[in-house]
Amino acid sequence: MKTWSELAEVQPLASKIITNSIKKDRISHAYLIQGERGTGKEAIALLLAKGIFCENKAGVEPCLKCNACRRITSGNHPDVHWIEPDGQSIKIEQIKNLQKEFSYSGLESNRKVYVIKGADTLTVNAANRILKFLEEPSKQTTAIMLTENSGSIIPTIRSRCQVIDLQPLNLVSFQNHLVENGMAKENAVLMSALTNNMDDAFAWNDNEWFASARKLVIQLVEMFTSNPDDVYLFVHNHWVPHFKERNEQEQGFDLLLLAFKDILYFHIENEASMTVLAPTDQLPEKAAMYFSQEKLVTILNAILMAKRKLKQNVHPTLVMEQLTLQIQG
Amino acid sequence: MKFVIQRDQLIKSVQDVMKAISSRTVIPILTGMKIEAKQHGITLTGSDSDISIESHIPAEEDGKVNVEQIEEGTIVLQAKYFPDIIRKLPEKTVEIESDENLKITIRSGKAEFNLNGQDAEEYPQLPMLQTDESFEIPTDLLKSLIKQTVFAISTMETRPILTGVNIKLADNKLSFTATDSHRLASREIPVKEANIEFQSIVVPGKSLNELNKILDDTEETVEISVTSNQILFRTKHLNFLSRLLDGNYPETSRLIPEQSKTTLHVKTKELLSTIDRASLLAKEERNNVVRLATKDDSNVEITSNSPEVGTVAEDVTIQSMEGEELKISFSSKYMIDALKAIEYDDVKVDFTGAMRPFIIRPAEDDSILQLILPVRTY
Repeated sequence: MKTWSELAEVQPLASKIITNSIKKDRISHAYLIQGERGTGKEAIALLLAKGIFCENKAGVEPCLKCNACRRITSGNHPDVHWIEPDGQSIKIEQIKNLQKEFSYSGLESNRKVYVIKGADTLTVNAANRILKFLEEPSKQTTAIMLTENSGSIIPTIRSRCQVIDLQPLNLVSFQNHLVENGMAKENAVLMSALTNNMDDAFAWNDNEWFASARKLVIQLVEMFTSNPDDVYLFVHNHWVPHFKERNEQEQGFDLLLLAFKDILYFHIENEASMTVLAPTDQLPEKAAMYFSQEKLVTILNAILMAKRKLKQNVHPTLVMEQLTLQIQG
Repeated sequence: MKFVIQRDQLIKSVQDVMKAISSRTVIPILTGMKIEAKQHGITLTGSDSDISIESHIPAEEDGKVNVEQIEEGTIVLQAKYFPDIIRKLPEKTVEIESDENLKITIRSGKAEFNLNGQDAEEYPQLPMLQTDESFEIPTDLLKSLIKQTVFAISTMETRPILTGVNIKLADNKLSFTATDSHRLASREIPVKEANIEFQSIVVPGKSLNELNKILDDTEETVEISVTSNQILFRTKHLNFLSRLLDGNYPETSRLIPEQSKTTLHVKTKELLSTIDRASLLAKEERNNVVRLATKDDSNVEITSNSPEVGTVAEDVTIQSMEGEELKISFSSKYMIDALKAIEYDDVKVDFTGAMRPFIIRPAEDDSILQLILPVRTY
C-alpha cells in the first residue's frame, strides 16, 4: 500500500477522508487512526508524512522517489519523528524528548510530523503531557497516533483528534490476495485467520518453526483424543521447548484456538470454515466424537482465558499445564 | 569517492565533528559521519539534529598539500568506530575509498579496514546559508558574550523558550540576553558592517555552550548568519549550525528599572569573596539566601543565617554609597554568577528598594548588565 489509490482498495472511506483534506489543504493538526493489525495504519501515517514533505507531488499522491519520500520510508527524515512503545508502554522519557523537540525549530523545514505508534500504550502521565501539544499545536505540526485498541485511549486525547476508523480487512479478499501471490489455498485460509498482514503471512508460510508449530498443535489435539494420559508428558517434552518466546506462545494458543474451533465447526457441519485441521482427515471426526459441543465451548473459553493470563505475565509453562488439565477434565 | 589525506589533519577534524554526534539519536543516519570529497577539499559533517558541525580540510593550504588524489563523492560512515580507527592507523597518510555498493575501504600502510557505509542522500540537508547576509565579530568577543550570558538560562523545561539566549541585531548593535525569570544577564556590543538585522532569535543555551567549547580563543573573526530555523557560526575551517528555539521570547527591556534609590560602588573581587564566604552557611534548599545591609558610607554588612548551623557576618568596604539605606536578601548563587561574569574590577550596584530587582554593572561600562530578583525574607 504505497499510494493513496492502492490504499483506497483496502480502506476506501479512510483514504477518501484524508485525500479530500489534502486536496483542500485542510490537514488536521492531529489524527487518531484506529484499526486492527494489518489494516494499514502505518501506511496511512507514511503517506500523510510524505504528502506533507514531498517535493514533487502529483495531485495528492507523493512521488515516492524524491529525497524526502525516500528518507521518510527509511526513517531518516529529521523532521518526522516516530515514537514506538519502549517495551510494554510509551514512557514519559520519550514524551519529554518529544517535548524538547517541539521547542526547537525544524531542521530542514518548518513543518514537523510526529507519529505515535501504539498510542494506547501511553502511560497516563505521558498521555497527559501530550495533551498540551494536541491542544495548542505550534503552527505547522501534525500528530498522527496509531492504535489497535481504541478503547484505551483516554477521552481527553480522543476529543482533540480527528478520529479515522479503519475497517477490518475482508477475509475472503485477503485470502484471494494471498492465493494470487502464490500461496496454497489451505495455507491462505489459515494465514488469513491468524493475521491481516501480507508480509507476516508470507514470512510464516515459509517459516520452518511455524510449520512444526502447526504440526505440534495437530499432534496435541490427537493426543487428547487417543491417549490423554500422555498429554502432560507431551506438553513438557515437545510443546514447552518449541514455544519459547512470548509471541511464539501467543501464536501457539492462537493455533490451538483455531484447531478447537475447527472441531466445533465439524460438529455443526460448517466444514468450509475450518482452518488448521483438514475436513477430509480422520482427526476432526475422531475429535468431534470425543468432545461434545458444550465441552468444546468450555475449552475455547479456557484457551481465551489462558491467552489473557499470558498477557498478565503468568508463567507460560504453568498456563499451559493448567490448560491441558482443563481440556482433559 | 577516493582521497589520500594527512592523518593529523583528519584526526583534528574528526574530533571536532564528533562533538556533534550523539549515539542516542532517534534518526539512524545521524549515528554516522558524512564525508564529502570535492576537488578543493574534504568536508566532514556530524549532527545530532540540534547542532551540526561541518569541518573543512582544504586540499592545499599555505603551500602544504593535505589531500591528494581526490575523486569526488560523498558517503556516510559509522561514527562509532571511525575516530578510533583513524587514531590508531600506522602511517602518516590515510587512503579512504568508497564504491557504489557503499563499502568503504580505509588504508594506511599495511592496515586495511573495510566498513559498511550508508547513502549520503539519506543525510539531513543542512541549509545553504548566504554569506552576504552575515556579520563578523572576533572569536574571543563572541566567547565572552556567551560566557557572560549563557549561565543565566533556565534549566527548567516548563518554559522551553527560556532555555535559550535571545540574540538581537539592530542598529549595528548585537545584544545577548538570557533569563530564567529570577535573574537576567545581558550584554550589548557594537557591530561594524552588519548587512542584516534580526529581531530576537533564540539560540539554545546548550548549543552555545558547545560552541564555546569548540572555538579557540583567537582574534580571528567568526561570521554569523541566520535563517528562519538555523543559525550558522563560520570560522576558517569550521561551520557550526544550531537549530533555534521556536516561540516568542518575553519582552525583557521593561524589567530593568530605570531609576535607583540606592547605588553602591564596590570592588568586584571583595564583594565576590565576601558573598562566597557568607554563602558557605546558606542552604541550598533555602535558595542560598544572604542578606546585605548598608551601614555607613564606606561599609555594607553581608550576613547569612541558618538556624541549625549558625550565622556569619562580614563587612565589605565600599567606595561610595548614594541614596537611601537598605536591607535586602538575595540568592548568593545568582550574585556569585553575576559578579564572576563581569570582567571588570569595579562594579556599580543599583537598588530600587528591598522588594524590587537590582542591577549590577561595571562602573565604567553600561553594555554589561546583570539583574537579580531579591528573595523575600521575614
